[in-house]
Amino acid sequence: MAAPTMEERKACWGARDEFWQCLDSHGDDAAKCEKLRRAFESRCPQQWVKYFDKRRDFLKYKKKLETEGYHPPEAAGKS
Amino acid sequence: MRGQGAAEAQTPGGAVRPGSPQPLTPSLRRAAAMLRCLRPVPRLCPRLCPPPCPAPCPPRRCLAAAPGAPRLPLRRRLAAAGAVAGAAAAGWLYVRHEKRRRQRARRLAELRRLALGRGDFQLRDTAGAARSKADFLGRWVLLYFGFTHCPDVCPEELQKLSRAVELLERDPALPPLQPLFVTVDPERDDAAALARYLRDFHPRLLGLTGTTEQVRAAAKAFGVYVSTGPRDADGDYVVDHSVLTFLVDPDGLFRDCYGRSRTAEELARSVRAHMDAYEPLPPAGAE
Repeated sequence: MAAPTMEERKACWGARDEFWQCLDSHGDDAAKCEKLRRAFESRCPQQWVKYFDKRRDFLKYKKKLETEGYHPPEAAGKS
Repeated sequence: MRGQGAAEAQTPGGAVRPGSPQPLTPSLRRAAAMLRCLRPVPRLCPRLCPPPCPAPCPPRRCLAAAPGAPRLPLRRRLAAAGAVAGAAAAGWLYVRHEKRRRQRARRLAELRRLALGRGDFQLRDTAGAARSKADFLGRWVLLYFGFTHCPDVCPEELQKLSRAVELLERDPALPPLQPLFVTVDPERDDAAALARYLRDFHPRLLGLTGTTEQVRAAAKAFGVYVSTGPRDADGDYVVDHSVLTFLVDPDGLFRDCYGRSRTAEELARSVRAHMDAYEPLPPAGAE
């Protein structure tokens, strides 16, 4: 399976950006962005979809840290 | 018979005379007597030392008892002391220079050993030719580790790398710079795959691949972390790896590394600074 070309990469990134914009405007409600999600999944290899999903989670977590600060989880027992 | 004023005959190593300005220790007196011997027959103490003064040296009184007269002898003494100090300083400077030269030679030998041993690789380029670090000596190298199935990081970094090389190419006074891409996914990234992938970036960007062992050794030589991810149903996977661009000088020595946070302009600026500060290793035996 050949690696995506530059055009395919750009198409994938575009679909991803649109999907993410939709999520941003709907407060991460994936149900409202079904169509874009499907477009995103069709344009990008599956591995990339998983990768970008994790990346989005990470970026949101990072933003949360920057705005709200770090609250250590009240886990039972110390590590 | 010459008038010697109030002087009595005295031995050179004699006791302090009454009326002398300061007590002289025996060694100082001997030194002063010696210095007097160095200068011509005294016209300096006409009242006290009638010429010609007999050998051995003229009476100590010339220096000790005549306050107005000793100016010139003092200057001569200072001149002699200055000459000795100057000789000592010159000797010290020479010793220091020699020490530094030896330190430099040791350091150069060390660097040459490093240059040969570290950051070396045995890979193949997209034309199938075998390439090692020795092939790039004499040129600056910007080297990035990545893979063609990379979702976003590698294209962005390669774009940045290409742009930095372009910026540096604009200055004809700068030495040649070779951009290199080494794959961390040799299983999928053969010569053809690399050639296809790298077409979208700088025209001189050269791709390197090899066997799994060769690629693993190259990554290790540069301290690059590589971890192949789990495969999905299609057999597709991503490779987790350190995102670093390395700068290597024409002697094959590692100079700097750049991460995600640097822009193309910052990269170009840093490379240029390294190029300006670069001093080639002299050939072995030249120093």
